[in-house]
Amino acid sequence: MSSPTPTITINGVRRPFSPGQTILQVANAAGVEVPQYCYHDGLSVVASCRICLCEVWSPNPRTGALEPFMGGKLVPSCQQTASDGMVVHTDSPKAVANQKAVMEYLLINHPLDCPVCDQSGECFLQDYSYQYGRGVSRFQEEKVKQPKKDLGNHVLLYSDRCIMCTRCVRFTREVTGTGELMVMGRGNKEEIDVFPGIPINNELSGNVIDLCPVGALLDKDFLFQQRVWYLKETPSIDPITASGDNIWIHHNEGKIHRVKPRENPRVNKWWITDEVRYGWKFVHSADRLGAPARKQYGYPAQSDFPRAYEIAVAGLRRAVEDGGRVALLASPMIACEEAYLLAQVVREIDREAVLAVGPVPVKGSDRVYPPGASEDDPRAFKVHAEKAPNARGVRRVLEALAGPGQVLDFEAFLRAMGKGTGSSGVRAALVTGNYPSAWTTPELLGCLGGKFIVAIDTLAGPHVDAADISLPAATFAEKSGTFENARGMIQSFERALTAFEGARPEGQIAFDLLHLIACGGEYERAGATRPEVYDAADIRSRMAAEHETLGVFASAVGHPAPRPQARPDMRLVEI
Amino acid sequence: MAIPANQITNVNPSPLNRLESAYLPEIFKGFGTTMRHFFTSFGQGPTSRTMQYPEERRENLPVEEGGINASNFRGVHRLNRDEDGRVRCVACMMCPTICPARCIHIEAAEAPWDDREKYPKKFEIDELRCIFCGMCEEACPVDAIELTTEYDIVGLSRQEMVFDKEKLLHIHDLTIGKKPM
Ligand code: SF4
Ligand code: SF4
Ligand code: SF4
Ligand code: FES
Repeated sequence: MSSPTPTITINGVRRPFSPGQTILQVANAAGVEVPQYCYHDGLSVVASCRICLCEVWSPNPRTGALEPFMGGKLVPSCQQTASDGMVVHTDSPKAVANQKAVMEYLLINHPLDCPVCDQSGECFLQDYSYQYGRGVSRFQEEKVKQPKKDLGNHVLLYSDRCIMCTRCVRFTREVTGTGELMVMGRGNKEEIDVFPGIPINNELSGNVIDLCPVGALLDKDFLFQQRVWYLKETPSIDPITASGDNIWIHHNEGKIHRVKPRENPRVNKWWITDEVRYGWKFVHSADRLGAPARKQYGYPAQSDFPRAYEIAVAGLRRAVEDGGRVALLASPMIACEEAYLLAQVVREIDREAVLAVGPVPVKGSDRVYPPGASEDDPRAFKVHAEKAPNARGVRRVLEALAGPGQVLDFEAFLRAMGKGTGSSGVRAALVTGNYPSAWTTPELLGCLGGKFIVAIDTLAGPHVDAADISLPAATFAEKSGTFENARGMIQSFERALTAFEGARPEGQIAFDLLHLIACGGEYERAGATRPEVYDAADIRSRMAAEHETLGVFASAVGHPAPRPQARPDMRLVEI
Repeated sequence: MAIPANQITNVNPSPLNRLESAYLPEIFKGFGTTMRHFFTSFGQGPTSRTMQYPEERRENLPVEEGGINASNFRGVHRLNRDEDGRVRCVACMMCPTICPARCIHIEAAEAPWDDREKYPKKFEIDELRCIFCGMCEEACPVDAIELTTEYDIVGLSRQEMVFDKEKLLHIHDLTIGKKPM
């Protein structure tokens, strides 16, 4: 009795599967809810929590008649591979009795401090208590109290909340290969711990916090900051390394509170590095630029956008009239769309403008986890040494405009600006930053001297002070766009916050400048026309339509997967 | 929907006679009533409806005379202290979550005490936005926030009506003997 695609029947509904999948994987893929703690797609299966046990019947190979599988014992669905014709019940009296028993067992020593636990609201134990547990406890003895432990720079362990699923231990053994965590003791003395004197400080340590299904492993950085149900989430892309890791930005009332990995099997699997996880702090830096400035008597003086734009356009124009060139230093931290628009601005003023990609910081060398794994291993996680999200995308866009090979890298840009020789045809430059920390070098500052400089940046710095005009820009969280990662995947991200007060996304600044150029460089002549509003999706389709080489922006952009439909976590209770 | 004909009554007032169309007699009649009330209520006269607040208070009056049952009046909040005099609140954020007026603002921090995880570093209630529904009291898992029966709360500015942790704890000290709502 075998059909072309094998199927199993879960709770009365036939589900096709591909050979090798476990029952739980089939159920998860089909959206059938089976409770699970210790199972995680990215880790090995240990079948230790026992809540996913279900009743399985399978056809007798000789007669084809359904018989209780394994002599009628409950089967861990996370471990049992599906075979054709199996009939699985996760809601039979036997399976439900087990779920109730496991829940009661797990709650024996659980402190039930949901009111002060950071996990509450996204806790498996809490959700399953509603769905599979009972309302009252029969436990009358003293609960075991276990200590709070500081495991590393980012991780805090509340031992008594742990349910011993060992996901965290398996993560440090299987994914990072560092093995800092272990299970210590037996029975109700069992605890997670680190080896004495060796804290969990590997580059991926933050992931154990996400993995922990309960509130045992918590993030020191997020501790007590927000209750999770206040947070709104926006899909985004890693803004500070070339990996293109998919992330969620969790924010509330205009402030980012944490960053979580967004599952993408083709890029970051389920993980992100701590660098990305805690790398958003610059968005709320005290050094953010909040108003345009123009140089007066050698010092920057606060200005406003219309005035700053007029001076900027006039300055760039004058450079061309004087027979000089205009240059654009497009930072690898800005989105492809923005690089495209900024390049249009300088090319509008100077057809032959010098286009260059800003400095691409590199820290150390690429690393693959677990150590020794090959990069193509589906479980491997790569940490990129290149610390800029979009060096390839910016180059791709600029080359489409200037022609292949015509886009300079940072070194060539410095030479074009007269490094070493002191003489240069470039008289004016548009410089963009948006780096998470200080990025200018003395060489760059030297080259910028004596030219008309328009700096577009997010954080204050010496080049901003030295610029003739500085314009405050918006960080990745405050705009939408696309980044191209180290493997050439173009992925879009969405806007999470409204722009910092007084700042505008580079794309909007470019639109404003294009509008001003179109109306002759003076706002008085602009009349009733208004600049276009920066919208990344529009610009992507425009880029693809205007340049054949940019067709990928219409066809090959990876967008965030739509959110799975949220289901109510409780069955309707009749009172 | 049209009104059925049997529900329509035509009223045809008879035309006013001369005296009536002068209106004056009716006006004096009306003033007479006003004046009677004016003079009889003067200085707590028999028709006076004025309550001499704050010497006289509604909770001291019988209900028929406009009194209230103060024991279930929902008044200003208090933030309770535990046996050691520490704020009882554990900063669980249940009350700001349930509050329909969004007037509770709490900043949580790690508690300075060993036996406690979390405590409110900042706890503010905007008493002007509060609608005194009592939901916060219902939501609190540790009975830290309670509505007292005090209703005479005053302030000279909006800012003064945002009660902070100190003030709410102080209300607890003042109303400690009273049963909350
Ligand atoms: S700390 Fe969390 S992830 Fe680790 S074993 Fe305990 S419950 Fe599982
Ligand atoms: S009484 Fe109602 S409106 Fe006032 S603080 Fe409590 S929950 Fe909010
Ligand atoms: S509900 Fe109670 S314990 Fe929780 S924050 Fe409000 S007052 Fe504090
Ligand atoms: S999920 Fe199957 S035993 Fe834990």
